[in-house]
Amino acid sequence: MFHNSSQKKYWIFKSEDELEHMRCKANQKFRNKALESGKKPGVSESMFLQRHEEDVLFRHYERRLLEFCNAFKPTMPKSVVGTALMYFRRFYLSNSVMEYHPRIIMLTCTYLACKVDEFNVSCTQFVGNLVQETPAGQERVLEQILEYELLLIQQLNFHLVVHNPYRPMEGLLIDLKTRYPTLESPESLRKTADDFLTQAAMTDAGLLFSPSQIALTAILNSASRAGLNMESYLTQCLGLKEEKETLSKMYDSMRRMKTLLKKYEPPKLEEVNISKQRLERIHAEFASSSNKRKRGYEEDGHVAKEPRLVEEEWTDEDLI
Amino acid sequence: MKVIKFQHRSCFKWLLRGCSLPLPPKTGSEYYTRPNVVQTEMDEQGCPRCKTTKYRNPSLKLMVNVCGHTLCENCVEMLFVRGSSNCVQCDTPLRKSNFRVQLFEDPTVDKEVEIRKKVLKIYNKRDFDFPSLREYNDYLEQVEDIVYNLTNNVDVENTKLRMEQYQRENRDVIQRNKAKLTREQEELEELLLQEQQSNEQRRLEVLQEEQRQLQAKRKNKQALLDELEQSQLPATLLLAQHKVRAAQLETQIEQQKQAVKPTSLFSTGIHMRQTVSLQPVTKIEDVLYHYRPLQVETYGPPVPELEQLGRLGYLNHVRAAVTQDTAGGYTSGLACYRAIQDAFSGLFPLRG
Repeated sequence: MFHNSSQKKYWIFKSEDELEHMRCKANQKFRNKALESGKKPGVSESMFLQRHEEDVLFRHYERRLLEFCNAFKPTMPKSVVGTALMYFRRFYLSNSVMEYHPRIIMLTCTYLACKVDEFNVSCTQFVGNLVQETPAGQERVLEQILEYELLLIQQLNFHLVVHNPYRPMEGLLIDLKTRYPTLESPESLRKTADDFLTQAAMTDAGLLFSPSQIALTAILNSASRAGLNMESYLTQCLGLKEEKETLSKMYDSMRRMKTLLKKYEPPKLEEVNISKQRLERIHAEFASSSNKRKRGYEEDGHVAKEPRLVEEEWTDEDLI
Repeated sequence: MKVIKFQHRSCFKWLLRGCSLPLPPKTGSEYYTRPNVVQTEMDEQGCPRCKTTKYRNPSLKLMVNVCGHTLCENCVEMLFVRGSSNCVQCDTPLRKSNFRVQLFEDPTVDKEVEIRKKVLKIYNKRDFDFPSLREYNDYLEQVEDIVYNLTNNVDVENTKLRMEQYQRENRDVIQRNKAKLTREQEELEELLLQEQQSNEQRRLEVLQEEQRQLQAKRKNKQALLDELEQSQLPATLLLAQHKVRAAQLETQIEQQKQAVKPTSLFSTGIHMRQTVSLQPVTKIEDVLYHYRPLQVETYGPPVPELEQLGRLGYLNHVRAAVTQDTAGGYTSGLACYRAIQDAFSGLFPLRG
């Protein structure tokens, strides 16, 4: 359950500032590493991405992840999508996009999420969903995914279980139907609440609030949109009549969450393209020098593959 | 050194084994096929001179001499017809009498065993001869050094001198220990002999018993036949009598078999009825365990019990379980319970 999970212990943070601080640290760490190892001509401070550019790229690839999951055949359950998004978010909390390219990490996150959530897809079936690629290209992508999988698990600190707000929402709806007759048809709230949850998954809400809080906010939000007052639910059914402090804190968190959602804006195309070009340059400069071939999957006695110097990098357009 | 023709791959391996240092494998395939396996197949070991193997002549016996090289019986006969000759491989002068049947795979081991026996005849001090463990270990190391030197032909002269010196210095100690050793061996042999004798006796006794029983049965049969011949009583009566007598005999035999000789000793040597005093077990006083049910903080409103869900009306809003689901033990209450738990877990903000 969530209350004794690793998510609550290690992956719920106090404020957005803390998250921002962690991301800046990751950015700085990469810069230091690159400057130390490189000392090559053409490497300058100005080449590195700024925080806001990293953010733009992150949001862009997050959207790509969502589109990939939505177009996945067979249909991917919502919890898998939620888990994949959470992995993606957690990974880039302590790593920089300059160090690990998001397009590979995003596929690795989805692959790992399928495994963890027991949505069994074979790896060939998985890369078969990359419709723009040739089968050979899909093979290459698969190899890359397998290489980065262990790294991803490690950066997640091996905390692989993610609690998503979808089941809490179902639970709250059941509870509303059973104990709160004031509200005539809770089912009407479902659609808007669902949209709220999808939007919340694209923000940092998952790293700041517990999933049940997110679900409750979703339902209260959709109720207020429909013009219904649900305050009495909180006071009566959840037993918060006496606990004024807890109640006010809850309202506070809900307000914070709503602001988070409002602040979110989809990335603009020109910004994305500019940042992407710079990212490609950085990766071309630094990725070839640091040979990150993780040899975890080779059996003994097998001759080590030579690093392919001429690599046909698959581009973003190869995704849907 | 004489060059030996390699007729067969096994010869090369045999030579490998003859060397004291491990040689690197010739080809990669050899390394993989025989990593650490000792060849004990019949056709691998053979005489270096005539190349017969145990496969071709199963009664072939290999003999080892003091230089550590082997020869089969026939070759020994042929070469040492004059009594002494030189070794085939290393050209050391040898005597025919020094050949012993090979006990070990590796002839160098045999050689070492022989040398060790000779050395230990001289260096026969025991652990109680030394004041401290350290000195005993030093002595043992000395012995090992000597054996090693003699086996591998390292510094033979000096070693032999050392041995002679030691022998001269410790003559009386050696004698004493020799005497002690023989005494101990004698005692052991006596014990063994005693055991054997008692075994033999028991066996004889059992045999005798059997014989007696057989005889008794035969006598009984004979008596019956005689009576049938001579007596005036009717045959049925005689047969009945005979049967009774046979039954009596049987019970007698059974009783004898079951009469176990009462012993007064357990097999470990403890007398029966001897009380062995045990130390009293110390009683451990500790606080009694008191069960307290597990308290888990869920940071949320209380969740209704699983059994109450139906009564409280929750189950009306959950998809009912199809017969296929209930077969596996699933009930709609389980899904409902899980959803409610998830909804309420962590709902309230943390204190502080």
